[in-house]
Amino acid sequence: MKKFLSMMLTLVVLVGFVAGCSSNTASSNEGKDSGKKGDDVLKVWSFTDELKEPIKTFEERHGMKVELTIIPIADYPTKLKPVLESGVGAPDVFTGEIAFLKEWTDRNYWENLSAEPYSVDKWSEDYVPYVFDLGKDSEGNVKALSWQTTPGGIFYRRSIANEVLGTDDPKEIGEMMSSWDGMFEVGDKLKEEGYRLFPDEGAIRWFSKSEDPQPWVNENNELIMTEAKLNYFDHAKKLREKDYTAFAPEWSPSWVASMNGPIAYNGGWDEVKEDSKDKTEVFSYALPTWGLHSVLKLNAEDTAGDWAVTSGPSPYFWGGTWLGIYSGSKNKEMAWEFVKMMTHDEEFLTDWAKDTGDVLSYLPVTNKIKDDFSEPFLDGQNNYEFFLEEANKIESGIVTEYDQQIDTLLGSKVLEYVEGKLTKEEAIEEFYKAVENAYPEIKTPK
Amino acid sequence: MKKLDHKGYYFIAPFFIIFLIFNIYPVLLTFYYTFTHYEGYGSPEFIGLANYARIFTDTQFLEAFVNTWKIWGFNFALQLGIALFLAALFSDLRFRIKGLGFFRAIFYLPNLITISSVAILFNIMLDWHYGSVNQFLMNIGLISEPINWLNQPFTAQVSVSLILTWMWFGYTFIVLMAGVSGISKEYYEAALIDGANRIQTFLYITLPLLKPIMLYVMITSLIGGLQLFDLPMLLTDGLGNPEGALNTMVLYLYNQAFRYNNYGYAATIAYMLFLITVVFSAITFKSMYREVNGSKATSKSKKRKAKNAKKRGNVHVYEKVSKQNTYI
Repeated sequence: MKKFLSMMLTLVVLVGFVAGCSSNTASSNEGKDSGKKGDDVLKVWSFTDELKEPIKTFEERHGMKVELTIIPIADYPTKLKPVLESGVGAPDVFTGEIAFLKEWTDRNYWENLSAEPYSVDKWSEDYVPYVFDLGKDSEGNVKALSWQTTPGGIFYRRSIANEVLGTDDPKEIGEMMSSWDGMFEVGDKLKEEGYRLFPDEGAIRWFSKSEDPQPWVNENNELIMTEAKLNYFDHAKKLREKDYTAFAPEWSPSWVASMNGPIAYNGGWDEVKEDSKDKTEVFSYALPTWGLHSVLKLNAEDTAGDWAVTSGPSPYFWGGTWLGIYSGSKNKEMAWEFVKMMTHDEEFLTDWAKDTGDVLSYLPVTNKIKDDFSEPFLDGQNNYEFFLEEANKIESGIVTEYDQQIDTLLGSKVLEYVEGKLTKEEAIEEFYKAVENAYPEIKTPK
Repeated sequence: MKKLDHKGYYFIAPFFIIFLIFNIYPVLLTFYYTFTHYEGYGSPEFIGLANYARIFTDTQFLEAFVNTWKIWGFNFALQLGIALFLAALFSDLRFRIKGLGFFRAIFYLPNLITISSVAILFNIMLDWHYGSVNQFLMNIGLISEPINWLNQPFTAQVSVSLILTWMWFGYTFIVLMAGVSGISKEYYEAALIDGANRIQTFLYITLPLLKPIMLYVMITSLIGGLQLFDLPMLLTDGLGNPEGALNTMVLYLYNQAFRYNNYGYAATIAYMLFLITVVFSAITFKSMYREVNGSKATSKSKKRKAKNAKKRGNVHVYEKVSKQNTYI
């Protein structure tokens, strides 16, 4: 009897355990079902808090709750992938950064917006061309849209320009920097006066990348190594050898410090407090639209107002966020409303641009507001107009899903060449090897 | 015998169910992936032994293997050395160092800091221009120029080794102290009376009797060391820079899987790592175990000990030692 009792007890515990699991799944199914009715919560996933304010507006307009999940960008693709693959707990709307945008457009994660009932193809004229094109998959169907455009320029210090180059006019400076030779000439003049052209050698990578705009990998899975990219090695080496850079690698503490005033140069920190000749100031930074708001403004408090932006040897863009509807979403109607508000709503986008200064890709709004911008940080320069002009020069269709990683690999090999650890041939050879190692399917030039 | 029944199985069943789902299933699935090309999208594509063919000719994996050993080996030698020294110091009857608990806590503290905080801390301290390590070394005149610690293969590896040592010597020390306190005081008293000096006491009493504990420390540290990942990942760019010197096996695995989406190949690396760990643990175990329990090695050292002991007419210690050995 005792044995029987304990057996029963164990069974009860076990059954309870199993039932506990199954009832959980049942309730979560219920949750999903109610989602079908489209009356509860819209789930949005992103990697920044940028969408917080728009979501408030959306909630007010539609009287529904939007749940924003922010996942740090380093984990974003890794976390999103299993969710999108399995469809369990997936968001209704999710954003994609340029680094993994192309990886996703060709999967069935985002709803095809070219199809009914969205038919966004008719909007193609409304956007900056490269931005609209990047949201397409390989067959030309639009999978994601973006509200912003993120072209880059060269932000430089007006006071240094006046002192060394005799002018601080963005047009004239842009003229001087419009070729590699011109840029090095400016570097030379700056050097003579004790300034440095760029914080580090990596600053020129964007110009090398877009000088001869071709994708990294073509349709035959071959790596395309353009002359311009090979020249990147030499240009970077020249910057180092001629001493045009300040040894302040991007995102490092010294990089940030250099925006706000003189920094120690080349290990001269021992004399930081004295007025030593080892200190230097950096003249310019290659940064895109968001660099102004999220980098310069935050770090260059003492030099605010002493900046201007101009173009470099070639137009480029850096970053950007797209958004689309999850193809398995049960709430596509509201998801579409949200995407529409973010990317194709004049009233909202006008407010957004005025509040944040974000450079929009939606032309009906930008055409209306671009003339009125005047940025105090840039001494009143209209950066909005400048960036829109740059955006229109950008060649679309050269971004591949490999770009982010291959750029990183190239950058690290260029740096090893610049530091003299490898010869140029070795560096290129190692770069090819690294690419093959990362993507065995890609054929590298031999 | 009849009284035995199967009730117990119901109680242990939950563990095994969870173990099956969350351990055995992924392990087997990973094994399946080693035969596939899988990018994490859709379904894996079967490619036979291609991944294994690749890994045996992959120089990067070999480099990662060597790097892991260099970093772990240097760190382990140092860590064990420090821990043994401290254990000897604290176990010495003649020193009678007070506050063992206090020191134990202090030595163990670095282990409580999360590894990401440690990485950030050392990233700042090892900074080329502004780092306090360089500032300090230059101020006391040890170096005349700042060392770019994390930008040269050798110094980067040494830095990681030293950080690991700093983090783990306290743990090793605690484990060794536990082993030491398990040794009967009588041996030490006897040795004291028989006139053994400190080094002799350490070499002939503490060390032999600590071997089982050291075996444990060695194998756990080896398994942990071969999985070295977080520090190299966080200290430099996550790709193993400078010049691939910090590219460890697990970092390589991580990058193949989550940076380049080669899940199949990453699974193969994982299985190689498992094989390597098993092989080296077995070798360590075999060689140490024989010395602890086996007849050959032990009898040799016993004879030597006996000889030493007899020289001083000290048979007592020898007997005690051999008796203790049979218990282990």
